Amino acid sequence: MSLLEKVLIVAENSDVVGELCTAGRACGDKVELVLIDNEAGVQEAIALGADKIYCLNTSDQDRMVEDFLPTIANLLKQEKPNAIILSASTRGKLLAARLAAKLATTVLNDSLSLEVVEGNLISKKRIYGGAALRDEKATGEVSVVTVSAGTFNALDSDNQRKGESVSVDFIEPSYRAKRLEVKTKVGEQVNLTVAKQVVCIGRGLAAQEDISMINELAALMEAEVGCTRPIAEGEQWMTKDRYVGVSGVMLKPDLYLGAGISGQIQHMVGVDQAKVIVAINKDSRAQIFQYADYGIVDDIYTVVPALIKKFKE
Amino acid sequence: MNIITCYKLVPEEQDLIVNDDYSVSWDKAEWKIGTYDLNGVEAGVQLIESVGGKLTALSIGDNILENDKLKKAILSRGPEELVTVVDNELKDLDGHNTAKLLAAAVKKIGLFDLILCGEGSSDIYSQQVGLQLGELLDVITINAVSKITPQGDKIIVERSLDNVVEVLEITPPAVLSVTTDINVPRIPTLKEILAAGKKPVTKFSLSDIDEENVPVVEYIKTAAPEQADRKNIILEGATEENINKLYDYIRQELA
Repeated sequence: MSLLEKVLIVAENSDVVGELCTAGRACGDKVELVLIDNEAGVQEAIALGADKIYCLNTSDQDRMVEDFLPTIANLLKQEKPNAIILSASTRGKLLAARLAAKLATTVLNDSLSLEVVEGNLISKKRIYGGAALRDEKATGEVSVVTVSAGTFNALDSDNQRKGESVSVDFIEPSYRAKRLEVKTKVGEQVNLTVAKQVVCIGRGLAAQEDISMINELAALMEAEVGCTRPIAEGEQWMTKDRYVGVSGVMLKPDLYLGAGISGQIQHMVGVDQAKVIVAINKDSRAQIFQYADYGIVDDIYTVVPALIKKFKE
Repeated sequence: MNIITCYKLVPEEQDLIVNDDYSVSWDKAEWKIGTYDLNGVEAGVQLIESVGGKLTALSIGDNILENDKLKKAILSRGPEELVTVVDNELKDLDGHNTAKLLAAAVKKIGLFDLILCGEGSSDIYSQQVGLQLGELLDVITINAVSKITPQGDKIIVERSLDNVVEVLEITPPAVLSVTTDINVPRIPTLKEILAAGKKPVTKFSLSDIDEENVPVVEYIKTAAPEQADRKNIILEGATEENINKLYDYIRQELA
């Protein structure tokens, strides 16, 4: 496979340097990194796959990642990469879209894979709530891409790698939002993407207090608890970080158990990578059974207590 | 306050047809307003209710935008007026072209304080049109907005990031993409639906806004993913025997 000559990756913080370097190396011969984090180690980034690092000055605490847009846009003009890769995070997508607007191109967002075919970068994306995959290619001179977290894994550090770093002067944006405060989100935070076992609930759960029954089973299975979109957003019985699906959390557990879940594609896409899928639903025609390794056709209010009893034996 | 709320008409998710060769089609689909766009509309309605002003809905697309029921669907949710850019060529637009045409239509509408968008379209969900629109209009642009509070000539917005909420002060004009938990969109009453038929609709053509669609993305292939092979061992009924079997299956995976 041929590679693009030069790829510029933009890391909004040090945590994403590794996976962005891997994404960059997957499609570029030369991988250069724009680093918006003073804390991040330049040597480490080189060891992870960057050939050249542009260090942006983040010492002024008032500067938000977004404020570096003119600085990065100017760098693009000078360096003329064939592609720019960012994280498909909230900040990454904002930066990517604004850069793309300047470059008169469309962002290839949420890339699941990158491939160079005859000098063109082709990115795969989930569309229609996960019901389809689309291969897309930007026809302009430079492609702007965001990659979903967890799609590319950081390579092992190679301390023999050589690279260089340069400091880049900050260009003041002509307008900016003023950050008044940063609040920690109230309530507990969970990260379902790293959970080994996950029990999910859907509309089959009749009342919010019945979550206690699900929590009990989950605790016995050492599982985290997740839910479908209607439970998080319609009923608001659970926080958004527990909502599994194409616009929510994408799971990669060893074991997934869906209780009272019909199995709509928008949810199942987030479950697809589970090693084993178990389903409980009283409707034998529920779609979830098509995706299941093991299933039982009966009411969750019968099955879940029975399973709890078995676990306690 | 002058507010514009953008929306996209999307096919009903349930109506997707997946063929045996994994190709997909929407040939028999009903159309509706993008699910997440409704949050942008509702945010606009609530702002107008609290500080006064005018809410205008804006969309671009092909002839489906002319559908009476769909026009009423948007206007019954609160906007005072609807502006559309309709051309049969405006189908499967890429993100940049959508933003570019919206920007041209916004300039026709005139001065605005806020443009509100949903967090993404519910069919493609690329989450970039609102953000490109803001950049093309050269105004403050913020995504993941979970609260909007006008304060004199400023607006305080909360932005929901992974673990934190940023509180930002902005001076309009601005383009904001709102989260799905910013509000619960209201369901229009029969009276509102009837009244919607009397609200003004302005339709522009591409030549009216003096722009054209010049695709910058090529869609090479669209197909349903192949499903992973699953064991599909399904037990009928929660008999003691079946519960024991199910327990053993789960236990064996936990070991």
